[in-house]
Amino acid sequence: MILKGKTVKKGKVEGEAIVSQLPFSYLGDLDVNTGKVVPEGHDLKGQSIAGKIFVFATGKGSTVGPNVAYMAKQLGNTPKGMICIEVEPVMAMVAIMNDIPMVHRLDKNPLEVIKTGDYIKMDANEGIVEVTKGG
Amino acid sequence: MFEGEYGPGVQKAMAMLVEYGEVWDAERMVKVHNAHTGLGGGKWLEEILEGVEHLRAFTTTHAGMTGASKGAEALGLKEEFRKQQAEMQEQTMAMCIPKGFLPAMTCAPYLVGNVPTAGRVFSWPGSSGIIIGNSVFGARGNRDAMPASMASAITGVTPEMLLLIKENRYADLLFKLEGLDVQSFTRADYGAVGYYIGRVAETKKVALEGVPETVSFDALKFLMSPQPVSGAVAMCHVIGVTPEAPTVEEAFGNQKPEETITIGKKEFTEAWDSLHTAKTDEVEIVFFGCPHLSIIEIGEIARLLEGKRIADGVRLFIATADQIYSLAERVGYIDTIEKAGGVVVTGICIQGFPYPELKSPATTAATNSARAASYQARRGIGIQYGSTEACIKAAITGKWGG
Repeated sequence: MILKGKTVKKGKVEGEAIVSQLPFSYLGDLDVNTGKVVPEGHDLKGQSIAGKIFVFATGKGSTVGPNVAYMAKQLGNTPKGMICIEVEPVMAMVAIMNDIPMVHRLDKNPLEVIKTGDYIKMDANEGIVEVTKGG
Repeated sequence: MFEGEYGPGVQKAMAMLVEYGEVWDAERMVKVHNAHTGLGGGKWLEEILEGVEHLRAFTTTHAGMTGASKGAEALGLKEEFRKQQAEMQEQTMAMCIPKGFLPAMTCAPYLVGNVPTAGRVFSWPGSSGIIIGNSVFGARGNRDAMPASMASAITGVTPEMLLLIKENRYADLLFKLEGLDVQSFTRADYGAVGYYIGRVAETKKVALEGVPETVSFDALKFLMSPQPVSGAVAMCHVIGVTPEAPTVEEAFGNQKPEETITIGKKEFTEAWDSLHTAKTDEVEIVFFGCPHLSIIEIGEIARLLEGKRIADGVRLFIATADQIYSLAERVGYIDTIEKAGGVVVTGICIQGFPYPELKSPATTAATNSARAASYQARRGIGIQYGSTEACIKAAITGKWGG
């Protein structure tokens, strides 16, 4: 399946998808030392987003998010790529500051058509996301 | 700047802003009148400041590390932690001050002369400052994260998009206060309303009807600051107060609200209850200063503490900016607070207080700030939530509600 969206941060990357239905904040939601999602009640609690293609609803929360992601990146604990429904300014800056390829505004809702474990090839320069069912 | 003619830092900052603008198809860059930024980022900060001789926007700095604050010794932090933070911050300052960063070290730049006027453009990190800049001053700013505001401080510009454009600022949701004694609202009451709005509105723009036009600036600060914590609100039109919202019609650009939500006794009580999370009435720490206190608020606390003494074992922490501290010292407020056993510190983020780094750790805290309460509850701190008076009473008696 091929999805078409809009560039947030350019780059080409591929990997395994991990999907959350929720908005995400790097401050509070991520343990920078492990790459795992922390809060009770989060649909990815205890799972790592490091090295994956992270698919989620949108950004939220503290404006220090990009700096927290920067710390996680130094430890190798950021996602390889990001996809969301509609980005907001803080999450856009997470991608730009940390050079994480990212697309949003896809022609289909990514939270419905991408499942955790699917294999994703992303060309964020062109906004193209290729999804191979799997896992 | 984009070509690198002003050095690598300026080029990198401009490249970031261009990418940022492309996400929302911004057509041009506009001048930033008021910048404010954090000095975190370590190696990234060194890279983006490489070759930058002077900033191109008026720029104050955000609150810094707890251990580096004036008065940090009185907080009872572990020595090693305090020294390490103090050294790190000193190094960063030595690099940044000569370039023109004004070390206000506050989350409330509007308290210390960084005041954006209506229609002007600001780029501030810190979600409380952003919603206040937009909604109280009527200035225009986006939810710019620290790297975006740093890039604007360096280049003097930001992409024209989102909340910088009049048509994008109209409210989506209308909230109405009904059946509440608004005239006698305390700051904590305003905080509970703000907390409720954020939780319902999430990322939407809101308008609020029912606030008296004579509301004080400090009360508005408490109304605004929890909204981006329980939600991600950056624009709250207070009808009759926000410069762009003299009427409901103007707040909505003559469109109908998506939804109208009433805040009555039930919703108000529910918000209060969810802010008070402590399971005990024993008081360990009482704190004020999220956002940083104005001279008016410090004066109120000093009057409540006049001739009193806080209970043994209770710690009272108050956070503000250096400039406000000097004024409070000059008129004797600091002396009154210290004689009562309180500690006033400057330049730190009190909601982010490093409880585990205290020599004698604590697990509960009392505050009048819904913003701090909302943040700290997530970190597992039990919060006793109440008015300034209730918090001071708790500090003196050692018992919540006692």
